[in-house]
Amino acid sequence: MSESDSAVNADSPTTPAPSFRGRGFRVFGLGWQDAIRYFFGGNASLAIILVLLICFFLIREGALFFPSHQRGLQDYRHAGQEFVDAVGEPIDAHTAFFSSANIAYFAEINESSREEDDLLRVARAVLANTEAACRKNWNLLKRKLGEVQEMDRALAGLDAADPARSDLAAKRETRLAEIAALRTILSSEVEAALAGPKVWKLGSDGRHLSSEDRERIREAVLFQASPDAKEEHPWLAGVGERSREKKKTAAAEFAAFKETLQGIQTAIRPMRTLHGELKKAASANRAAINRYQTAPARRAAMLEGAKKAQDPAEQARFQAEADQIVVEAPDLVAMNAPFYAAVPKQAELSAALLAEMRELREALPEKGSNARSRKALERSETLFDRFADTVDRSQRKAAKWRHERSVSAISSFTSFVFGKQWITNSSWHDFYGLLPLLTGSLLIAGIALAVCVPFSVAAAIYVNQLASRREQNFVKPAIEFIEAIPSVVLGFFGIVVFGEALRALSQVEWLSWVPGFPMNERLTILNAGLLLAFMAAPTIFTLVEDALENVPSALTENSLAMGASKLQTVFRVIVPASVSGLIAAILLGFGRIVGETMVVLLVAGNKIKIPDFSEGLGAIAQPAHTMTGIIAQELPEVDSGSLHWRALFIVGLVLFIIALAVNYAAQQVLKRFQRI
Amino acid sequence: MKPMMSEPEPQQTLSPIRKGGDPSTPPPEVVIEVDGVHFHYVKGRDILRGVSMEIRKGEVTAFIGPSGCGKTTLLRCFNRMNDLIPTAGISKGQIRILGTDIHHPKVDAIELRKHVGMVFQKYNPFPKSIYENVAYGLRIQGVRDRTKLDEAVEESLRSAGLWEEVKDRLDASGLGLSGGQQQRLCIARTIAVRPKIILMDEPCSALDPISTATVEELITRLKKEFTIVIVTHNMQQATRVSDRTAFFYLGELIEMDKTTTIFNNPAKRQTEDYISGRFG
Repeated sequence: MSESDSAVNADSPTTPAPSFRGRGFRVFGLGWQDAIRYFFGGNASLAIILVLLICFFLIREGALFFPSHQRGLQDYRHAGQEFVDAVGEPIDAHTAFFSSANIAYFAEINESSREEDDLLRVARAVLANTEAACRKNWNLLKRKLGEVQEMDRALAGLDAADPARSDLAAKRETRLAEIAALRTILSSEVEAALAGPKVWKLGSDGRHLSSEDRERIREAVLFQASPDAKEEHPWLAGVGERSREKKKTAAAEFAAFKETLQGIQTAIRPMRTLHGELKKAASANRAAINRYQTAPARRAAMLEGAKKAQDPAEQARFQAEADQIVVEAPDLVAMNAPFYAAVPKQAELSAALLAEMRELREALPEKGSNARSRKALERSETLFDRFADTVDRSQRKAAKWRHERSVSAISSFTSFVFGKQWITNSSWHDFYGLLPLLTGSLLIAGIALAVCVPFSVAAAIYVNQLASRREQNFVKPAIEFIEAIPSVVLGFFGIVVFGEALRALSQVEWLSWVPGFPMNERLTILNAGLLLAFMAAPTIFTLVEDALENVPSALTENSLAMGASKLQTVFRVIVPASVSGLIAAILLGFGRIVGETMVVLLVAGNKIKIPDFSEGLGAIAQPAHTMTGIIAQELPEVDSGSLHWRALFIVGLVLFIIALAVNYAAQQVLKRFQRI
Repeated sequence: MKPMMSEPEPQQTLSPIRKGGDPSTPPPEVVIEVDGVHFHYVKGRDILRGVSMEIRKGEVTAFIGPSGCGKTTLLRCFNRMNDLIPTAGISKGQIRILGTDIHHPKVDAIELRKHVGMVFQKYNPFPKSIYENVAYGLRIQGVRDRTKLDEAVEESLRSAGLWEEVKDRLDASGLGLSGGQQQRLCIARTIAVRPKIILMDEPCSALDPISTATVEELITRLKKEFTIVIVTHNMQQATRVSDRTAFFYLGELIEMDKTTTIFNNPAKRQTEDYISGRFG
């Protein structure tokens, strides 16, 4: 001890003992280290504060939605609109049934002349194609023919001795020679266009044309694709005539069917009339209620105006107007009297309608003669059952309905969460039902995940485990580059290129097994889902690749040393070892997809309706709207604080809850997998 | 990774690796022959320089030497683990295992590794259950029969002296065991596929003395069935477990002999200096 002490002292006998005090710039005792520390700490806490604020405002605005929604529903009931909508239900069900039966009828009529129609369709397509191919020379020929005609007229007007005459005649000769040459060119062009393989594929509807028919169409086209053609080729005209004849015969044959259809159409009329009358009354009621509710505010505004007005005359005018505003509560009992009075009539009409419709359904043909009409008839069977149920239900609803019954807070909630309609800015009543938006969002996300996960996981496994370094250096940046594409550009691409391509692809015959194919729409759930899959691919790819990268290389080595092949190692050791990262990646990808706005707004078609699942997964070929899309679309246009505005906030809250749930699920999954 | 010595075919008579074993031919006493091997990780810089040795059946052979002398490299040549490094390769010489040149183009490294198992310095059970860890080697060879797997797992765990400790929790994760148990699990996993040779790369360096003693005892028991090559930094361990010892220095095999001879009466000065702790 003393030895070491003396050693230190001996080393520096004159220097004073060190003070151990920090050196450098200090403010209030804080040095640089502290400043930097607090700076970063402050940034982090700012982020947390922002998140909390977002939660707070979402919840505050959202929570206020339900009371106002409840009031709206109460008004809907007080005005008798609820009753009227209940009465109107069978009308919609009836329309659905009727249109299905109607489709069956026209399928029958069109089937009778299917062969002729096919021929005509092909012939027209071929003709159009040929004309398009030779349009330029065609027009030239027409012009030259016109010139020759003019020359002929001019020649007729000239004297035989006129020196200009021979000139003109010579010119005419050259024109005629040109025309002859042009005709040869044109006919060879027509031949070439006809020989093109593309032409005959057009619209042949899967049925191959017989060689005779092809030959005839060829003839007809050659005949018509000439500037001299004044009329339709006789054969083609004959086919058209035959088609019309057959349709007429079929119409005669199915006259009973048609009559039934007309009967179906007329059967609903009394109900329609009743509904229309009641609807008018209910509209007036709602207007009165709205007037009453806004009266105090309007009156206050007028009085305010009167106070501010300088001119006494003006003041008196404001005052008078204010006095005119009725602040008396509308008489609900009197207002709703017509509805109660209509109940027996509605019951009577319902019974009559049902009886008549049952008879009419019996009159419908049992079975269609072709696939389309059969399908439509089968569908109208189910639709009829639905119609009958609706009539029953509507009658019961109407009979039980009481305007004074109050709307509970729970039904305010359930009619939002399970509401099937999202109708805003309506002159009737605004409905805020989440289901159309939720189904749209989930369907799109489901498609996107189903497409994206296999591809991106496989790509990540390939790049991380199997690819050579050169491939890695090429593929990884390429995939990650997708992330840099702005979503609005992707949406634009979806509208202009992808949607059209997808629809064209869906017409290909051997792809018809894909649900929803062939598609009629360009902007569909499928289109949006596929684009989102593309967007989420880099997210999932990168995360899965990281997860694979994090598997200790010792595991690979161990597995290989056991005599496992590379693929066995990947699928039996590396992928299972990184499964938690894999699931986290998929869930994060889901979050990205559900939250994506721009692409779905542009590409999903924005139709606020629950997709029709009557064809199962075929619903993906329909347009839909999403939760994110509706917020982006409607929020800028609504008054802040209005019910609609709050409804949009609540949709945002639902999105937030979905995100939370997904995250929670991810963590639970991670915990479970980490145990082994 | 092509052999420099051009031999058209590996010797057909002694090629159990490719043919799955021929019971009529009695296995040779020498299982690994190393013949003037030069090895490099990067072309032009040989790590091993002309190593030749023979490793005999049923013996434990210890490789000793200072760090970077090439003993682990040579060990990893025996089951071609060095194939994983793209630039590495044998530039001269030949390694024959059970009579077959293992670098012949027709030899499949995967097949080779089924016969030459390896235990690593850092125990690394797969993140699977204890049962699945041991059954892994059999599963990748396509064994599906549950009773067969059960038998093999039990037998391997018994051989590794782990059965009594884990028999009640075969479905628990292999990562939940203690370090020594994990290393024995790795050994059980290796012997489950019944390799001819087991390579051990400092198997006890991450273990405490008690676990080390258990593993060493295990090694002594296993040599009845397997030929074992062990790399170790621990000279006492070499004397305890090995029958023969090879001393490496700077990529060359300095001396190889019976362990007792090496430690009591080494022929070379360098060996004596090393084992007496004068360098290394």
